[in-house]
This record gives sequence, C-alpha cells and structure tokens, in this order.
Amino acid sequence: MKRIAWATFGALAAANAIFFAFVLPAEFGIDPTGIGRTLGLVGLAGAPPEDVHRTATPLLADRRAFELAPFESVEFKYDLAAGDGLVYAWTATGEVVFDFHAEPAGAAPGVAESFAQGRADADRGTYVAHFTGIHGWFWENRGVATVAVSLRVSGFATGAAAYRDGDAQRIAIGARGERSPAAIP
Amino acid sequence: MVRSPRTAWLLLAGVALAAAPALAHAIAEDNASYVQALDGPAVAAFTYLGAKHMVTGVDHLLFLVGVVFFLYRMKDVLLYVSLFTLGHSITLLVGVLGEWRVDAYIVDAIIGLSVAYKAFENLGGFERLFGFSPDTRAAVLVFGLFHGLGLATKVQELTLSADGLVTNLVSFNVGVELGQFAALACVVGVLLWWRRQASFQRSAFAVNALLLTAGFLLAEYQLAGWMLQA
Repeated sequence: MKRIAWATFGALAAANAIFFAFVLPAEFGIDPTGIGRTLGLVGLAGAPPEDVHRTATPLLADRRAFELAPFESVEFKYDLAAGDGLVYAWTATGEVVFDFHAEPAGAAPGVAESFAQGRADADRGTYVAHFTGIHGWFWENRGVATVAVSLRVSGFATGAAAYRDGDAQRIAIGARGERSPAAIP
Repeated sequence: MVRSPRTAWLLLAGVALAAAPALAHAIAEDNASYVQALDGPAVAAFTYLGAKHMVTGVDHLLFLVGVVFFLYRMKDVLLYVSLFTLGHSITLLVGVLGEWRVDAYIVDAIIGLSVAYKAFENLGGFERLFGFSPDTRAAVLVFGLFHGLGLATKVQELTLSADGLVTNLVSFNVGVELGQFAALACVVGVLLWWRRQASFQRSAFAVNALLLTAGFLLAEYQLAGWMLQA
C-alpha cells in the first residue's frame, strides 16, 4: 500500500519535473527552471513574434493593371525576402477566380503555399513572407465579359514577374516610387 | 534472440510503429490539405488517415497498453477492446455529425488522465489505497467515449465537405479499428512473450508506474496548451 502511494507521488513528481524542465520550454517557450535555456530547448517553440522586422530593402509602391478577356488568366508575383511584407489591395470590374500564393526560392516547379483562394471582385490585406521567394496572385476571368483587375501594393519587394499565356516576364521595379498604371501586354 | 518468424514480424512492426510519429507532423499538413480538397466519398483516404491517427497516437496506444496489461485470456482482450471500440465509435460519429464543439485540449487532457487512471488501476491503487474497485469494464467504455471525442475534434479540425461525410467518417472509424488492431497485435505479442520471462513480475509494477507518469505528463501538456492557447 505504501509502495503504491509512493509510486503515485513519484509518477506525479516525475511528470511535473519533465513537464517544467523540458516540455514547457520546448513546446511553449516558457522556461521557469532555466534548464530549457541551458539546453537550448527554448527555440523549439518558435521565436516569439517580433514587433518590428527591420529590413535593408527600400520601400516600394507599385500599381498594376491587367485586362482579362473571358477565360484569360494572369499571374503577378513579387520577390520578397523572409520577414519582409506587403500591404495590398486589388479590385476587379467583375468577379474573378483568384489564388494568393507563394513559391519558395529554389523550390521545384509547382511547389507553392496558398493563402487565399476563391471568387471575388476585391481583396486587401497585409502579408508577411515566411520564406524567401515569389509571392503574389493568380487571377482568371471565368465570365463572358472582359474584366479589368487593378492591383496596388506597398512593401519591400525587390523585383516582380508576370506570367501570361505561358510566358514568364521579369518586371524591373525600383525604389523610384509609385508608378503610373501600366498595362502588361 | 528472435525465436520465430512471428516474433520477428512483431518486433519489426514495433520498430515501424516507433518510427512513425517522427514523420507525423509534416505529412499531416499535406494529408489535411488533400482531404479538405476532396468532395464526396473517399473511402481509402479516410481509412488510411484513421489507421494512421491510431498508430501514431501515443495517448491511444498507451491507454491500450494499460487496458490489456493484465488481461491473460484472449476472450478478455476481445471484450475490453470491443467496449473501447464501442465507446470511441459512438462519440466519433455523434460528435462530428452532431457538430459538437468541445475543446480539443480538454478532451486530450482527459485522454491523458485515462492513461493515468488505467495505470493507477493496474497498480492496484483503488483497492489498496481507497478500498474499492471501480468497474473496469465501465471505465474502459467511458474512457472510450472520451477517446472518440478526441478523434472527433481531430476530424473537425479539417473543414470537410458535407458530401459523403458519413461514408468518410465511417471509413475513418474503420481505419481507426484497423490501426488499433495492428497496434494491439504488437502490444499483445510483446506481452505474451514478456509474461513468460522471469522479469515480468518484478517489472510490471515499474512499467505501470511509468505509464502513470506518461499519463500525467500527457494531461499536463494538454492543459498547458489549453491555458496558453491564443
């Protein structure tokens, strides 16, 4: 009987010791004993969110306009380094199918992470890149009338690329400030 | 030494089982995005996911180890495992179809405590410390209900199409049973062999004390997740 009581308290004590020494720092980044920091476990839970991510990339403001005939599509993506971000807004004169996604640099073709998809005539938001690569939108007009899509972006992109009719086209963008709306041929 | 092909197979399955959780995380995300994109019945995909969830779920496995630890007759193994299966099948189906909203952390904490409960029972804790023995069959059934709720919360984390939902849920449940059967075959195989060793009597107590520790740790881990969730 004494043995069972000891085993139970021992089990509870061992579970607590493992929990506070290893699990809490490794899984939740909380380190009451300091053991997690000593052993280098704290980073496993992921770095605490930074309030500020500073960057050497100049700020860019960019505007793009696309005309999509019925069943035409276009893809426009910006080069972003991990941690850098964009504030974006796009509108269309009619409903389009869109896919906001990103491809890591050096990834095999077709490897992409998608953030938002659907049918809409507008979307806007704030985006922070979790990896270095190209980040942007695919729009397709599934309607019967031509649709104009206009995109406004402000952020820390270092370059851009347009993809239309199977052709990839690098677009030079600089830190020269906002551009006048330019149609992509 | 490995004495027979059957033992060798069991050992091999055990090793595969131990290695599986290491891969679980990354694959699970791909699994989820694939399943969410499905529309309509997908028997094989959901059966596989159910089996995988069981085989890689250390909480379910430890509970089963606790349940069969002192069951010497195959008839009893079947009875207790059937009760467990009945319990988790009910809450998996009813929970998902009835769109129950239960907190996954709380349910997983209770599942952790079910491991601790079973270990404490195996140690003889209820009899010796409190002078009474709760019905072991009722306990397995009730904890089976909680394990099923845990399964339901995992399925609910996926946003699944309503089209073919029942078929897919039943497939998931069948997968869970297949995974459970595979896991149990390994556990019972090892226990059958181990009980014949002189070491069994000496180490049975220690193993259940370890099981108790693991149960407490699982429960604490989930409770911490519950308290710290964003």
